[in-house]
Amino acid sequence: MATNHKFKRLNASRDFIADNYHAPLSLSDIAKRSYMSNYHFLRVFKDTYGETPNEFLIRLRVEQAKNMLITENFTVSEVCEKVGYTSLGSFSSLFLRQVGMAPTLYRRKLWALSSEAFRFPAQAIPACYAYHFLRKLTK
Amino acid sequence: MITSIAHTTIYVLNQDDALDFYKNKLGFEVGDDMKVEGDFRWLTVHPKSNPQLQLVLAEPKEGPMFSKESAEKIRSLIEEGAFGAGVFETDDCQKTYQELEAKGVEFIQPPTEQLYGIEAMALDNSGNWFSLVERVNTK
Repeated sequence: MATNHKFKRLNASRDFIADNYHAPLSLSDIAKRSYMSNYHFLRVFKDTYGETPNEFLIRLRVEQAKNMLITENFTVSEVCEKVGYTSLGSFSSLFLRQVGMAPTLYRRKLWALSSEAFRFPAQAIPACYAYHFLRKLTK
Repeated sequence: MITSIAHTTIYVLNQDDALDFYKNKLGFEVGDDMKVEGDFRWLTVHPKSNPQLQLVLAEPKEGPMFSKESAEKIRSLIEEGAFGAGVFETDDCQKTYQELEAKGVEFIQPPTEQLYGIEAMALDNSGNWFSLVERVNTK
């Protein structure tokens, strides 16, 4: 576990990623925020957060993309660009790997399940909560 | 075999205010923030180092789960401090206590030695109490 001081420095890098996930980010730019060498930063970041900076960045981008695909009317290419990817092919493959389906299929499936346009369907949250707050039994 | 807990609920008086508290004072990150089926807001936060544990910040509102009277009762109980948000762990209770106090977090007990470690107790901005614990074997 990182010490409090080291944790603060790591958080500065993590916040930097979260604030700039839509921009091209290099490891040195990120590690610089923690005053560490690239190698040392990678190791400590993974030890502390359980994921590499790149895994964290991908997670943020994919979560943001999922949100945009459901709640906005952007094309998949626009979503791809807005979350920081320049190649639609790379974005689609990555999305497929992380979510289990292509962006267009994800959008189509969730829109079909939702009773209201640009809203997540109840199936997007754990069923016990959907039942608790919305009285919806999801299948 | 159950392996871990993924979501737990904290009832709050106002989701925007609670988000501000958990994000900007406690330093948590937003997990999900999305509109589900109408106006239901699914809002979760998690400690930076533990995205596997999502705290669901939920407002007790009149709806499928609560009648108007029940929602009001729960809101009043939250304000009275009848509910606990849980135990958050830190690697340095004294330091975290000082940092949070400087940010305006209200403490009801300063760091105190207990059988299991050093513990401080605080309130969130809804009135839920929580403990901040430094386990004796974490150093």
